[in-house]
Amino acid sequence: MQFEGRGDPVLALDKVDLALPAGAFGAIIGPSGCGKSTLLRLVADIMQPKSGNIRIGGEAPREARRANGIGFVFQQPTLLPWKTVLQNVALPLSIAGRAAAARAVASPQQLVELVGLAGFEQALPGTLSGGMQQRAAIARALVLRPEILLLDEPFGALDEITRQRMNLELLRIWAEARATALLVTHSIAEAVFMADVIFVMSPRPGRITDTIEVPLPRPRALALMRTRPFFETVNRVRDALFGREAAEEVGEPAAGW
Amino acid sequence: MKRSLLAFGPPLILVILALTVWEGAKRLGGLPVFIPGPAQIWAELAGSPSLFFGNLWPTVTTAATGYGVAAVITVIGAAISAMLPPLRTPIYGLSITINAVPIIAKAPLLALWLGTGPSMHVIIVALTCQFPLLVGTLQGLGAADPRQREMLHSLSASPWQLLWHLRLPASLPYLFAGFRIAAPLAVLGAVTAEWAGANSGLGAMMLYALFSYDIAKVWLSVLACCLLSALAYGLWAVVERRIVTWDDGLDR
Repeated sequence: MQFEGRGDPVLALDKVDLALPAGAFGAIIGPSGCGKSTLLRLVADIMQPKSGNIRIGGEAPREARRANGIGFVFQQPTLLPWKTVLQNVALPLSIAGRAAAARAVASPQQLVELVGLAGFEQALPGTLSGGMQQRAAIARALVLRPEILLLDEPFGALDEITRQRMNLELLRIWAEARATALLVTHSIAEAVFMADVIFVMSPRPGRITDTIEVPLPRPRALALMRTRPFFETVNRVRDALFGREAAEEVGEPAAGW
Repeated sequence: MKRSLLAFGPPLILVILALTVWEGAKRLGGLPVFIPGPAQIWAELAGSPSLFFGNLWPTVTTAATGYGVAAVITVIGAAISAMLPPLRTPIYGLSITINAVPIIAKAPLLALWLGTGPSMHVIIVALTCQFPLLVGTLQGLGAADPRQREMLHSLSASPWQLLWHLRLPASLPYLFAGFRIAAPLAVLGAVTAEWAGANSGLGAMMLYALFSYDIAKVWLSVLACCLLSALAYGLWAVVERRIVTWDDGLDR
């Protein structure tokens, strides 16, 4: 799987070149307004680029979207409040029709269980916590077995503790679903913990300034966050984001951690 | 079920208390001649029920017909203005203009123009209750969350699926708010139309009783109008509660 984009009418994105191998977990990190959500929306064919080229497993975003090859998890859960959890998870099936539904490997019920919402199938979203709603949204994004799972700061609205837990859950779900994943985040630790490869973006116009491989083994556990390779990668991403500033102000780069 | 029955308790006690105080005040001579006690009004109803119900029924049918006509026209109008945005302002403007003319001024004008037949009554009802119906439907059709529209777009939903899965259900809370507020206005419209000229109906009964100083009958017809309005409102509230079972984020 590979995509690259060039230019935009307002030049929100410029010279964005990135490629993500199939089955990998990529993370896009950058400050607010650098166009990382825009980039994700271009991949999902929610927005269309004025120029540039994006390929998802060889297909253009529009074809991939029409073939239900894209699962999108938004910043907000965007569940339909009048449908139960199970109905929300099954929504892509009822929209795609029978032919696509036949291709789905896991049933909505199985996905509800996969994201840990067993027992809440008949609950309305309004009665669930934000974390539980976002889990249902992830299950919904997975129900048609998409080739690529696009996650736009999915846990940005959650507190730090819930967020850690959800990240672990997401890695487990991603490993089971065997999809390619692309996560937009503005948390350095989150990007390093989750991804195989991190794309660092800078704003005005949005561009990719660095691509950093994460040398951490899988499956990942919270204990990894105390290891030296983790901190070294965090520091590399920080250097890429802030340039020389990051090292100068503290004096020593945090080599003693 | 038990809880909803319990909810009727406090208002019921309040009504009984108010009626008791009212009747007591009347019996002790605390009220002037032109305010009858509840017992007198009840006697008026019990004495000639056929007269009362003979006048109640035309008002009910007029109000319901006019309300139905207004509902159909405004829903179509709102749908047109949602599909063709340039028409939104003229349609909305017309509705505001009609609503701005006081009903008490509209009724005699229409009576002069259309005569005092049932069609005039129905038209006045429709004109009286159209505004909240249109506003509710218009707001409802625009109520779908843009983020949810994006979500359905990413699922490649067709326009019909978008309507069925998102726009329609998202519109219901606003639609019901408009329909609920418009229901008592339909009763107001019917009574005003009957004032402007009618042989039967609560409005006609009220007017004739007023001219013949039949105080108890005036009060009976006024109370009947109040009950009818409250009933129409309550009916929609019940239907709404049955259908809109989710938390729509609207305060009420």
